[in-house]
Amino acid sequence: MNSQPSQNYGSNSGFQNAPAPRQDMEYLCADCGAKNEIRSREPIRCRECGHRIMYKKRTNRMVQFEAR
Amino acid sequence: MPDGSPRLAPRAGCTFDTLAREKKFKSPPEKESVIPILNEFVTPHIESFNALFDDSGLPSGDGDGRGLLHLGLEDIGKRVVFDGRGDIGAESGQRGWGNRLSMWYEQVTVSKPMVSERDTQAKERRVYPSEARERLTSYRGRMMVKICWQVNDGPVEVEMRDCGLLPIMVRSARCNLRGMSSGELVRHHEEPEEFGGYFVINGNERLIRYLILPRRHHVISLVRPSFVNRGPSYTPYAVQIRCVRPDQTSATNTLHYLSNGSAMLRFSWRKQEYVIPIMLILKALVSASDKEVFEGVMMQDYGDTFLSDRVELLLRSFKMYHLYTGDQCLQYLGDKFRIVVNMPEDWTNQAIGVWLINKVVLVHLQNARDKFRMLLFMLRKLYALVSKSCSVDNPDSPQHQEVLLPGALYGMIIKERLEEALNGFREGIALDVRNSNPAVDFYDKRYIKKVLQRTSYDIGAKMSNFLATGNLVTPTGLDLQQASGFTIVAEKLNWMRYISHFRSIHRGAFFAELKTTTVRKLLPEAWGFLCPVHTPDGSPCGLLNHLSRTCRIVTAPLAVSHIPALLAAHGMTQAFAPSVDGRRNLCVQLDGRLIGWAPAAVCQQLATSLRIWKTEGKHSVPLDLEIGYVPVSKAGQYPGLYLFASRSRMMRPVKYVPNGKDDQVGSFEQVYMDIACTPAEIEDGVSSHVEHSPTNFLSILANLTPFSDFNQSPRNIYQCQMGKQTMGTPATALQHRTDNKLYRLQTGQTPIVRPMLHNTYGMDSFPNGTNAIVAVISYTGYDMEDAMILNKSAHERGFGYGTIYKSYTVDLQELTGSRRIATTPTLHFGFGPEIRTDGEKAHPATLHIDSDGLPCVGARLNPGDPIAAYVDDTTGRTKFAKYKGDEVAYVDTVRLIGSDAGDQELQKINMTLRITRAPVIGDKFSSRHGQKGVCSQKWPAIDMPFSESGMQPDVIINPHAFPSRMTIGMLVESMAGKAGAMHGLAQDATPFQFTEEDTAIEYFGEQLQAAGYNYYGNEPMYSGITGQEFAADIYIGVVYYQRLRHMVLDKFQVRTTGPVDPVTRQPVKGRKRAGGIRFGEMERDALIAHGTAFLLQDRLMNCSDYSTAWVCRTCGSLISLGYDDVSLGEMVIGANGSLKPTGPGGEYCRACRAAAEEEDTRARAALANGPARTATNGRSADMRVAIGSQFVLGPASKGGDMDIIAVPYVFRYLCAELASMGIKISLEVQ
Repeated sequence: MNSQPSQNYGSNSGFQNAPAPRQDMEYLCADCGAKNEIRSREPIRCRECGHRIMYKKRTNRMVQFEAR
Repeated sequence: MPDGSPRLAPRAGCTFDTLAREKKFKSPPEKESVIPILNEFVTPHIESFNALFDDSGLPSGDGDGRGLLHLGLEDIGKRVVFDGRGDIGAESGQRGWGNRLSMWYEQVTVSKPMVSERDTQAKERRVYPSEARERLTSYRGRMMVKICWQVNDGPVEVEMRDCGLLPIMVRSARCNLRGMSSGELVRHHEEPEEFGGYFVINGNERLIRYLILPRRHHVISLVRPSFVNRGPSYTPYAVQIRCVRPDQTSATNTLHYLSNGSAMLRFSWRKQEYVIPIMLILKALVSASDKEVFEGVMMQDYGDTFLSDRVELLLRSFKMYHLYTGDQCLQYLGDKFRIVVNMPEDWTNQAIGVWLINKVVLVHLQNARDKFRMLLFMLRKLYALVSKSCSVDNPDSPQHQEVLLPGALYGMIIKERLEEALNGFREGIALDVRNSNPAVDFYDKRYIKKVLQRTSYDIGAKMSNFLATGNLVTPTGLDLQQASGFTIVAEKLNWMRYISHFRSIHRGAFFAELKTTTVRKLLPEAWGFLCPVHTPDGSPCGLLNHLSRTCRIVTAPLAVSHIPALLAAHGMTQAFAPSVDGRRNLCVQLDGRLIGWAPAAVCQQLATSLRIWKTEGKHSVPLDLEIGYVPVSKAGQYPGLYLFASRSRMMRPVKYVPNGKDDQVGSFEQVYMDIACTPAEIEDGVSSHVEHSPTNFLSILANLTPFSDFNQSPRNIYQCQMGKQTMGTPATALQHRTDNKLYRLQTGQTPIVRPMLHNTYGMDSFPNGTNAIVAVISYTGYDMEDAMILNKSAHERGFGYGTIYKSYTVDLQELTGSRRIATTPTLHFGFGPEIRTDGEKAHPATLHIDSDGLPCVGARLNPGDPIAAYVDDTTGRTKFAKYKGDEVAYVDTVRLIGSDAGDQELQKINMTLRITRAPVIGDKFSSRHGQKGVCSQKWPAIDMPFSESGMQPDVIINPHAFPSRMTIGMLVESMAGKAGAMHGLAQDATPFQFTEEDTAIEYFGEQLQAAGYNYYGNEPMYSGITGQEFAADIYIGVVYYQRLRHMVLDKFQVRTTGPVDPVTRQPVKGRKRAGGIRFGEMERDALIAHGTAFLLQDRLMNCSDYSTAWVCRTCGSLISLGYDDVSLGEMVIGANGSLKPTGPGGEYCRACRAAAEEEDTRARAALANGPARTATNGRSADMRVAIGSQFVLGPASKGGDMDIIAVPYVFRYLCAELASMGIKISLEVQ
């Protein structure tokens, strides 16, 4: 598993517990449509109904394609 | 709109119902289904599945309403094991068996799919199919079985055993969608038209296909030359009956005629075949005396010496067994089969004999006397066959066929798995007893439970495997001819293909290998049951059929126990009558049970009365009773009155002429009926029935071809195939689907010209094509050979624009680097800290991936782009999942999939990618008349021809498409479409509506005229390029065009350079691997024949595995190249002793140098030892190039005469391979 040479990460061995600072993502429950904030490494479950599928919301970034 | 002529008075159903449809789509009905008929046509699937359970909702018929599983448990019976201690419990009187532990099943329950117990949060405990689809899991419910055991005659102990999760058929009695209205279905993310009938396995929809089986409970006569090979004195003659137990498992009995006049009964037990003399069975059944057998077969026809001779031989030949009574026969049977059947050791031989006969001989009959009578009937039929007084029955005819229902097969497998598990349980204990395991204690509940826990009981997983692969793992063979190919994926390519799966019926995988084509023939007996049009051409032609539109399959058990008494009251002689004259009387059978005898005239009377009663509902004769009266004929089918009330039969509705009531007709009885196609065709005194509609013999798809009666029939077959390959509307709940690939037409329209059934089946909810203006003209030069021209402006406005949805899963659990066993996963979606997510130097992957490691919805992906990021805990590095496709795609949906219990972090995502497919040159289109073509140009609108009203065609096709194919239906559709478009009519294109007097041309011609067009649909047109009028009028109209899913973008295969095979260095094959198209032998021949040597060289050498190699001019070897390190200035001694350089890179031939050096040493040795011996040791190698390099003028050196030649790389490989076998290749270099 650890076959990759980790020269670049020699100093960074205690990685596992480093909590990545990131904003929460909002997802939509596939059953009831409720908005759910699910942090990284939290179980996938709707807070409203307990459903087990979430949809990702459409990106709010600008989506622009070259028209040809 | 122009004024209509009187003919234009709108006929019923000529509106598009646009508003009504819109309303229904916006708010689906809350009480009922949008299109109820769609639920009807899968009923055989669903009801046969429901029949497994006690609460099936089906009528109970003659039974007590118990489900097939329950009946199966009863048939499994008890298993017994002894502990070898003490001496009680010896049923046979023998001592020393010890305690007797018997075990059996009492009950099996299957629950609806529910959320796992571990999940405490979910409010909705029920699981719906859409969740199974979206989470890529299976739709399953828990199965439990109640096991009972008893030691000796002690108290009965009960234990519930979990059998795992059993896949549940959607919309069946165990489905949570059962009985839902369209509105509720939509709320549960299904189609409003969802009809179920399939299973959801790993997110895929799979269904068990109907399979044709021999008709149950009917004796058919066979003549097969292969029977002779079964052993000495076997003949080709046999009669066969397929018997079905109440739990729908079957056993086939064959009665073989031997050349000595006797007969052998053949059956199979656990895939092994056994034969028993029929006399042994007859005696064992009822202790029949020889006289009883003789009278039973002869039936007072003592004048028939053929028969009496054979019966005499039959009786005489049995004398050698010295078995006189029934008990002796049973004991004999029990003795021989004791080892085979593996029944309790304490049973007597007689008990085993009785059990065996019960299990394998005519299993549909419980009563021994009934079995005896039926066997006598079989014997009589066999002798009639041998004496040629009755004909051979055709097993390929639907008359002798029925359908293997999905539920029945499912129940059979479950029953067998349960039986195996019970055997395993017994074996577990028996093994402990054999090994004298000290733990064995029959009175210890914990021990028994421990063994039970040890026994494998995961029936759910086995059933999932069966559904996922279609492979049947069975020790008994289940009386089926194949072991695989039972299930298929219900592809939602488009709606037509989807619904066809549920009506498809296969002849059996066995017949696909058969060289003869007789099984594939379209027989007149299939009329109304199997569609003559809807079958694929090619290898499965005639084997894979589709049920006709109105064909039903009986799934409900019928109540017919009162029929024998009813018939007896109307003149039938009861079966137990002591003396019946076989010459005058015909037998009357009900479901393979002989219920009586009657003269032919009475039989016919009975048949007619029964038909009147059943159509009028009198004497509670069920409507689905099949009354097969086979009249007496000269060497025809064996006569008799055969009644069938069992399940799995094909039946279809027709009208009974004498009383004008609805009747159901089966495939057996239909052969002896006269069914008029239309009321006009009824002949008095001849026609018994009349069709409800002349199109009822066609399948749903064949019915949807407009004016199919105008077309040549193969064209309709092609349309049935192409309709299923069309890019259409697969589903309306696209958002919730995870199919691997979905094709969607963006601009679907309702066809202007459509048969009435188009509305009946609600096809407007799933449009499959576009109404196109089609001109039949040879115009551009690009429309030859079935090519078609698209109007470029039509294309730009969205004609035929399509999309492909592909689903793609990233499962961290499956990726390497994740430890499966670990409770906490080591891979997590997201970016590690080494990835910059913002600022100017942000990682390029952040273009497509959000900070949660998942792709942005709406992102545009190029081949190779990252689509998901995940961090490996062990290395701390971020890895990316890449988009593997080779086209630009857009992320449509991203699903985060939780675990079963909703307690795990994100490990699996599923995304839908959208690939746009605008029509391009090379894409395939077709009309609905088998007229397919490839788009060859997108012609600019300004250059398109135009009509006097300024219309331009969307599509141009070549007139040559018509004369040889004779698709007049397309020409009529063109006219009808044009008129319909002008008048706003939905034209009815149901076949068989027009006659010679009232022609379609006339009808639509008048409509066209009323709209101001030419009567025949042709128009003067002008060239778009010159503006001049064409010399001829052009046929132009509106035709519904389908875009087929075959697109160049999926098919083109071209390469200049690319991957090569590592061994041969030739280009690889296969489009997926960027390989080339093979330039094969025949192509090579063509180039040689043309004398194009340069091209040949280019294709086969330069563009393939061109390579250069060093060859030794001296010995001609390709493989003896050696190198001297020239940097060290090493030199080689030449022939004249002076130093000479080797090849430019220091290359030399190792073989030649070694030979030269050997020569040198020998020469030195010869110099030392005297010159006498040198002559004998001289080299004598026989080589093509025999002159040593020393003797050649020029700069020859020892092994230094190397040259470079161009050879195919495979040739070098060949030389190396041959060298490894000790064969040398020598090249002559010139």
